[in-house]
Amino acid sequence: MASLPKRIIKETERLVSDPVPGITATPHEDNLRYFQVTIEGPAGSPYENGIFDLELYLPDEYPMEAPKVRFLTKIYHPNIDRLGRICLDILKTNWSPALQIRTVLLSIQALLASPNPNDPLANDVAEDWIKNEQGAKNKAREWTELYAHKKN
Amino acid sequence: MEGYAYEYSHDSSMDSITFSDTEYPRNSYENKNPKERGISKDKLIKNTIVDHVLTQESEFDIDDNLLYSDDEYDEDYDDPYMNSSFIEPISTIKERKGLSKGSVPNLKYECLTTQNIFENMLAKVHHLQPIFNIPPEDILILLQHYDWNEERLLEVWTDRMDDLLIEIGINPSSGNISSSINGNGQMRSISDIIENKNSYCNNQTETNKDENEEYQIPNTRTRDISFKNNFFCTICCEEKSTETFSLECNHEYCISCYRHYIEDKLYTGNIINCMGCTLALKNDDIDKIMGHPSSTKLMLSSIKSFVSKHNRNYKWCPFADCNCIIHLKDTSSLPEYSRLHYSPFVKCINLHKFCFTCGFEIHAPADCIITNEWVKKARVESENLNWVLSHTKECPKCSVNIEKDGGCNHMVCSSCKYEFCWICEGDWAPHGNSFYQCTLYKNDDNNNNNNNSTNTNSITDVNKSLKKYTFYYKMFNEHEVSAKLDWKLGQNVGNKVKELQEKLGISWIEGQFLTDSIRMLNEGRTALKWSFAVAFYSDASHNLTKIFIDNQSLLSKAVEDLSELLQIKDPEIIMKRKTDFYNKTGYVENRTFALMECGRDLLCKGICKAN
Ligand SMILES: [Zn+2]
Ligand SMILES: [Zn+2]
Ligand SMILES: [Zn+2]
Ligand SMILES: [Zn+2]
Ligand SMILES: [Zn+2]
Ligand SMILES: [Zn+2]
Repeated sequence: MASLPKRIIKETERLVSDPVPGITATPHEDNLRYFQVTIEGPAGSPYENGIFDLELYLPDEYPMEAPKVRFLTKIYHPNIDRLGRICLDILKTNWSPALQIRTVLLSIQALLASPNPNDPLANDVAEDWIKNEQGAKNKAREWTELYAHKKN
Repeated sequence: MEGYAYEYSHDSSMDSITFSDTEYPRNSYENKNPKERGISKDKLIKNTIVDHVLTQESEFDIDDNLLYSDDEYDEDYDDPYMNSSFIEPISTIKERKGLSKGSVPNLKYECLTTQNIFENMLAKVHHLQPIFNIPPEDILILLQHYDWNEERLLEVWTDRMDDLLIEIGINPSSGNISSSINGNGQMRSISDIIENKNSYCNNQTETNKDENEEYQIPNTRTRDISFKNNFFCTICCEEKSTETFSLECNHEYCISCYRHYIEDKLYTGNIINCMGCTLALKNDDIDKIMGHPSSTKLMLSSIKSFVSKHNRNYKWCPFADCNCIIHLKDTSSLPEYSRLHYSPFVKCINLHKFCFTCGFEIHAPADCIITNEWVKKARVESENLNWVLSHTKECPKCSVNIEKDGGCNHMVCSSCKYEFCWICEGDWAPHGNSFYQCTLYKNDDNNNNNNNSTNTNSITDVNKSLKKYTFYYKMFNEHEVSAKLDWKLGQNVGNKVKELQEKLGISWIEGQFLTDSIRMLNEGRTALKWSFAVAFYSDASHNLTKIFIDNQSLLSKAVEDLSELLQIKDPEIIMKRKTDFYNKTGYVENRTFALMECGRDLLCKGICKAN
């Protein structure tokens, strides 16, 4: 396999040696550009007590191109569609090479804490969220209960 | 049916096409033989019918700066027969037909390139400079930010010029960059993130130490390249002796990272910012970093996105490898065109003719609605038939039809540059670099199955309509294939003319009758082809439809005759039969026009309609 850019090595080292609270990111042993990620649902959010699986992939052009991230655990969220794709500006047009894996994951965690139904990816969920926020949150909580790992 | 009487009356040199109100005599479109009509070569018109239509109804508004070198167009003015023999009859037709006050307004358009448009923008900058009183480069960035919309920029400018310069990243805010960024919605999140960064790099202590001073702007700082020994670049994490670049913000990165970063962004046309904050790179900075003038690429990309954002007035020429942009100055006449079932055909500087509304080739007698309906149907029903239109799809954004070339599902619309997925027709962005596969394909399949099962109320009906369609489709296809062959013929016509010149000493001008013949053949063939779409959607029991079909066969015969004539290779025989060429070409021209008008009549009367 092609040699890994220094940038990726450094980031990986630091993710292991100095992990972000509530987030784990482990590179796949066969492909060091592929990470298995878990994010804890933020306290006070409908995702609290759930642990969500994600996959993260660093494309060849990283860091000029944003990492590709996707939820593997089913989640009810207006900015995450049923395929787990995430609507987040820094993953698309507002990506900057100065951002990192760490900052991306932190942003996703922040997105769980404060969903943005006005910039939806999952339209039906967003609609639900706007019309009946409490109901939507309850459903998100149910889904967390159903699909996410339990925090012990 | 309205009861007005009308006739298609051409003068003696033209077909006499007459029929009156409720009864449509079958032979009313029938023509006398061109010889009987006494068409002499003098009476023949050099130009093709569509050119006449353009001349008549959509006269080019030629700007001073317009680079129109359309020689056939210039000929119009030199040609003494133009006014007498052809143009008149058209207006007569219009008046007598009483087709809702007859005519469509002129289409005013110009043919441009991105370079032309950019030059216009530079002129704007020049014009704005005394008002703005900032460097022209900065005005360019402002215009770029406001999609080259001068009015909008001026509005905002007077209200809040200082804020604007900071927001768009032209000026650093005094003191701390972050304060300016905080005013700007989305940007905030990034810079917050960047600022809160705990550097992943090994010289962490150093970075942390700098953290507070990092965004202080040294007044003396200039935007330039410098050489640093043992520079640690936070983008590539390499420590090396290298050239670096930084803006006033002091975010310094190695030159190779900067180049890589810019290279990727030149094609977006968006303002390129510092990798660490929102300060904008000016064209000068870009050229400095890249080591050669690269900013023009960025500017032209930005113009491209300007064109796509203004796709009501601007359309890319849909022909492959043509970079022309047609700018329709006034779109207010387009509804009138569609009301009268005319199509707004335009012609680029490379003489590519297309419909401004749908981006197709000239599709008269079909209007845009019939054309699109036909193409859609062809796509749905003829997947097993090997035909070019099954490789086209309507752009989900601007509805221009674009062609799929090869197996890649990543489609880029030739008109508005929208990127979408061939399979699901959704935005391409979330598909990424094949990291996500399109998953909507399966659903589509299911839908089709469902549709089929609900539609089978009567299998025979389905079969019947399929049979009917297959017939018209085959006819259409046949002419499509022939048109391609004719086109190849046309590619050689220049050589043929040369041969006449060399072997027989014929002047170039005199040899042009061949070029005109081949052009008319193409026009006739195309009209014939699309007439099958019209025929398919027409009420077959109606008399006018029957007349239309008679006209089809007349044109068909005329086209085949001309085509046969054009097969002649011997230059001497060609010259001997020159009169024949004139006559047959003129006949095709008249028949084409008659078919187009008859088709338009079917449409105006609602005898031909989609569904
Ligand atoms: Zn670097
Ligand atoms: Zn900066
Ligand atoms: Zn063109
Ligand atoms: Zn059209
Ligand atoms: Zn388009
Ligand atoms: Zn798709």
